[in-house]
Amino acid sequence: MGCDIITVSTDTKFVHKAWQENEKELAKVKYPMGADRTGKAARMFGVYDEDTGLALRGTFIINPHGVLMNAEINFYNLGRNIDELMRKYKANLYLSKKTNEACPSKWKDEGDKTLTPSAKMVGKVHEALQQK
Amino acid sequence: MADTTTNLRLGAKVPDFELETYEPAKGDFGKFSFQQQINNKRWTIVFFYPADFTFV
Repeated sequence: MGCDIITVSTDTKFVHKAWQENEKELAKVKYPMGADRTGKAARMFGVYDEDTGLALRGTFIINPHGVLMNAEINFYNLGRNIDELMRKYKANLYLSKKTNEACPSKWKDEGDKTLTPSAKMVGKVHEALQQK
Repeated sequence: MADTTTNLRLGAKVPDFELETYEPAKGDFGKFSFQQQINNKRWTIVFFYPADFTFV
């Protein structure tokens, strides 16, 4: 996949271990589980809830130069869509190689229609999306 | 509410951070270093969630 995922909560690494070993949904988990006990990392990313000491559901895509490319934060009661996360990661990866292109909302994978913004396209996005 | 004093912005560099980890692949504890990710020229997805033993 070409990227590394780290999951982070304010639990300890010991609780991470106990949870991963007990929850069958996590049996196949391979990624590292980060322990942000002080909330330092969560604060840095703006997802720390001072009232509860918990981190909100924040997802951040960072490129190999350390630049933040994408941020999504959901409140406690809304789960994230992994297909959408992967779409955004794939788009970022693609756009890092094709810097003059843009991926429209329906872009899913390499080979799908992209846009190349230009003066000619102003007011003609509809027509540009129809072109092969 | 979430702290909004963060200086993180899209298109800006993320400061270095480190975390102690549990590594299910090794069944052992470890350490995550963001600087190491940059040194290794790797993309990183940081995925926060509220609490273990709940839904993610």
